[in-house]
Amino acid sequence: MRARIAQSDPVKVALWITLLVVSLIWIAPVLFIFLTALKTRPDLIATGTFGLPTEIAWQNFPDAWEEANLSTTMVNSLIISFLKVPLGIFVSSLAAFALTRLRVPLGRVFLAVIIMGAMIPVQVALAPLFRLILGLGLLNQYVGILLPYIAFGVPFQVFLLTAFFKSVPRELDEAARIDGASSWGIYWRVIIPLSLPALAALFVLDFVATWNEFGIALVILQRQDMWTVPLSLQAFTGQFGNNYTELNAAIFMSIIPVIIVYLLLQRYFVAGLTTGAVKG
Amino acid sequence: MTRPVTIPPPTSRPPIWRGPTLGRFTSWTFLVPAVVIYALFALFPMVDGLWLSFFDWDGVSADRHWVGLENYAQIFTQDPVFWRAVQNSLIWVGLSLVIPTVIGLAFAVALDQKLRGRNAFRAALYLPAIIAAIAVATIWTWMYNPIFGLVNATLEALGLEWLIQDWLGDPDLAILSIFVAYVWQATGAAMVLFLAGLQNVPVELKEAARVDGANHRQVFRAVTFPALMPTFIVVTVLSIISSLKVFDLIYGMTLGGPAQSTQVLALWSYTLSFQLHDYGNGMAVAMVLLVITLAIVIPYYAWMGRRDEA
Repeated sequence: MRARIAQSDPVKVALWITLLVVSLIWIAPVLFIFLTALKTRPDLIATGTFGLPTEIAWQNFPDAWEEANLSTTMVNSLIISFLKVPLGIFVSSLAAFALTRLRVPLGRVFLAVIIMGAMIPVQVALAPLFRLILGLGLLNQYVGILLPYIAFGVPFQVFLLTAFFKSVPRELDEAARIDGASSWGIYWRVIIPLSLPALAALFVLDFVATWNEFGIALVILQRQDMWTVPLSLQAFTGQFGNNYTELNAAIFMSIIPVIIVYLLLQRYFVAGLTTGAVKG
Repeated sequence: MTRPVTIPPPTSRPPIWRGPTLGRFTSWTFLVPAVVIYALFALFPMVDGLWLSFFDWDGVSADRHWVGLENYAQIFTQDPVFWRAVQNSLIWVGLSLVIPTVIGLAFAVALDQKLRGRNAFRAALYLPAIIAAIAVATIWTWMYNPIFGLVNATLEALGLEWLIQDWLGDPDLAILSIFVAYVWQATGAAMVLFLAGLQNVPVELKEAARVDGANHRQVFRAVTFPALMPTFIVVTVLSIISSLKVFDLIYGMTLGGPAQSTQVLALWSYTLSFQLHDYGNGMAVAMVLLVITLAIVIPYYAWMGRRDEA
């Protein structure tokens, strides 16, 4: 590998080395978290910031798992994410289908009003949302968080899916229409199968966004047994803020699921982020 | 107490609708679930927020009375924290237009070259963007820890002890310290957008310029940069919007302190409503934030619409 690099042009070698150094600095905070999580408390004080642990304190991970109540909050986060993401994408894809393929009265107005919501900070609506969910008796329930999550996910998803559906040739649905397919048939048998890459991209993006969401969860999931991972992480910082080694173990475990999803499905991720936002 | 919420099921074609109006009804049934959920759980709370901004109310008691524009008058004239929040939001927007954008562009240009391990570099540089903002907050609180933190320890190791600060405890410095964590998280988005923009730079133009004897830098200035203009607009607008949305990061790092020095509009609205039990003022702050957002978003969508038609 070295020989190959040396053969190529010196500007590229310099660029490669710079990128390596910058990338290492860039992920240093994550490495630092991991390093701290591996230390015992006496080690942390004795070895200083950069020192390697004298013995690896794996015990920090189960202890932090217990104290941050991650067994409960991970399950909550998984349930909420795996319900929200497919439901939200399904609902949004139906709407995007109607707006691009069917004649909907005032379709353009609907599209404009819906995608406007993609840009509006959710904090604008946090207190009234709390009132609404409280009024419906859905506080501290999965449904109570799923409905706002889907609602605030719709704009971006409809925006992205309308852009994508427009690129599917209309001749395909006309042909299906002539063969007697209903609108549902065209949606389910023509548009959806052709949109799998876009749907996969949305799935990954939405999974990460849902897993990471904090503001809405903060006001709606107030009972500890309903907390999601970000809420328990925040609470852990407050309660056990001085137990640095376990805190770092908790942070590390909380980001592992999204890192795995991201590394496995990276190419869909990039596609999803850029479709619709920038095009030629 | 629990009222069942029914999501209208997606229908195939119910036979009762067969007939001349069929097309319209079926197209509506596709649209209805998204529109109903969006209207009820996203739009209605915003309208409700506007309505509540005209009342004096603690959010709990039955005692709630109409005060017209008094809440707005109060936040504009008697609330120093509101102006601090406006100032911080403006600083944040201003800095975010430059710093993550420039770094993101640099990363993208570097990664656009054919390099060994390019995907690994891209994964590493984008990694912070997928971490929950609240986790980023805890990570950086730890980075800034006065005794064990990596920031001060690095300064010490480099012999720069005189630069050591109480990064999050100093009211003049805290907002900038949080901003550094934001840069770490926000650069990835700019990078990916620029990478996509670079794919759209016409290769023939670049080659033609090279044939005419232009060097790397001249090609970048004359061909690449102009071709990136639409990307710059997208990145600019998304930077402004995501700056206005910053909430988790500040909540997790300082809760707006010390002495409210790191308040921004989104967090101040929350703090007023939920912590200080002043819904009226909290909603007035939220509406200011909403108006600012719309003032940026509406022209942006108008521009995008024109570009789509072109």
